[in-house]
Amino acid sequence: MSARRPMKLLFAMLLTLLAGPVLAAQELPAGILPLDGQAAPPLRLENLDGETWDIEQVRGRWVFVHFWASWCGPCRKEMPTIQAIHEQLDPQQMEFAVINTAESEDMVFTFLGTVAPDLNPLMDTDGLVTERWQPRGLPATYLVDPEGRLRYLALGGRPWDAAEYKSFLQHLTAE
Amino acid sequence: MHRHPHSLKSLTAVVLLAAAAFAQPVSAAEPPPLSYEDDKVAMRLVLRNQEQLAGFYLGREFGAAAVDKILETCFFAAIIYNKSYDVLWLDLDHWQFQRDELTIPRLKRDYWKEQWRAIGLPQRHQSTFGWTLLPETRDLRRDESAGGNVAIPMQPEPFTLTARFHTGPNRQGPVKTIVFEDVTCPRDVQ
Repeated sequence: MSARRPMKLLFAMLLTLLAGPVLAAQELPAGILPLDGQAAPPLRLENLDGETWDIEQVRGRWVFVHFWASWCGPCRKEMPTIQAIHEQLDPQQMEFAVINTAESEDMVFTFLGTVAPDLNPLMDTDGLVTERWQPRGLPATYLVDPEGRLRYLALGGRPWDAAEYKSFLQHLTAE
Repeated sequence: MHRHPHSLKSLTAVVLLAAAAFAQPVSAAEPPPLSYEDDKVAMRLVLRNQEQLAGFYLGREFGAAAVDKILETCFFAAIIYNKSYDVLWLDLDHWQFQRDELTIPRLKRDYWKEQWRAIGLPQRHQSTFGWTLLPETRDLRRDESAGGNVAIPMQPEPFTLTARFHTGPNRQGPVKTIVFEDVTCPRDVQ
């Protein structure tokens, strides 16, 4: 018994880890890459109403940090799925930072007003915040954990309202 | 989205028309794309005419001077999609452009920075332009694609593009080579 008990304990700890918010690569939906957990870069931008949003102010929640531009085809395709998942997730569990890269207010208002009117876009007016985050391209989505660490990166546009992505996000926020 | 909430519905028709215009910036006049596909990778080149290129950037409030700089070059889009389980390395320095045994230098990001500095292109447009270029290097994972524009000096005759891709996490796998021959620089469509 004394030999088996530490093994059981170890196994239980392993299960707990696996069930935690950070999933192994093989458990992730297609196109979701696990990151190393380094601190997220600063993110402080204004929305269309001139109100400032700061990622530091939403610590304690997962943050869906999304970079996009209206000229980017995959961004246009993905945006309605972000609108859909935004409606389905508890805002107390996941915050959405939908960042437009270097476009005018009119362009953003015109596009989002049609496909995602409930999203509150942040304006990276000169594109410098986007460059600081160094996404692999547009669109790009980072998932930042409640401690402010970069946990996952979505490669390109993803169908966030599809079952596997939805359950992945729900798994994160359930912890 | 909080600005002018009551005006959203009244804008819908205009917005739909505008969105449709931007969603389909390439008209039926677009020449057929040059494409390659096997079980591991798909790649295609998209050669838009100068009117379409100008329309894209003018529509995003770039000035005529900036558009002229773009149209002076042979500017086209490349899209690469990694279908394999291995990492596919996009390294633009491993792409070769040739015409009549002559190697054509690619116009890299430093070239564009210098052009934009010379005409004083606003930072936000420089940022947008940068995102419309193909990344210089990228480790494409399974099911990942990269797309964007590439530029070389304007060529009076067709050229050959030889695109080489290293594979494997450390670039130590077999090199994938894709060749496009008789690529013609986009010109005005009369």
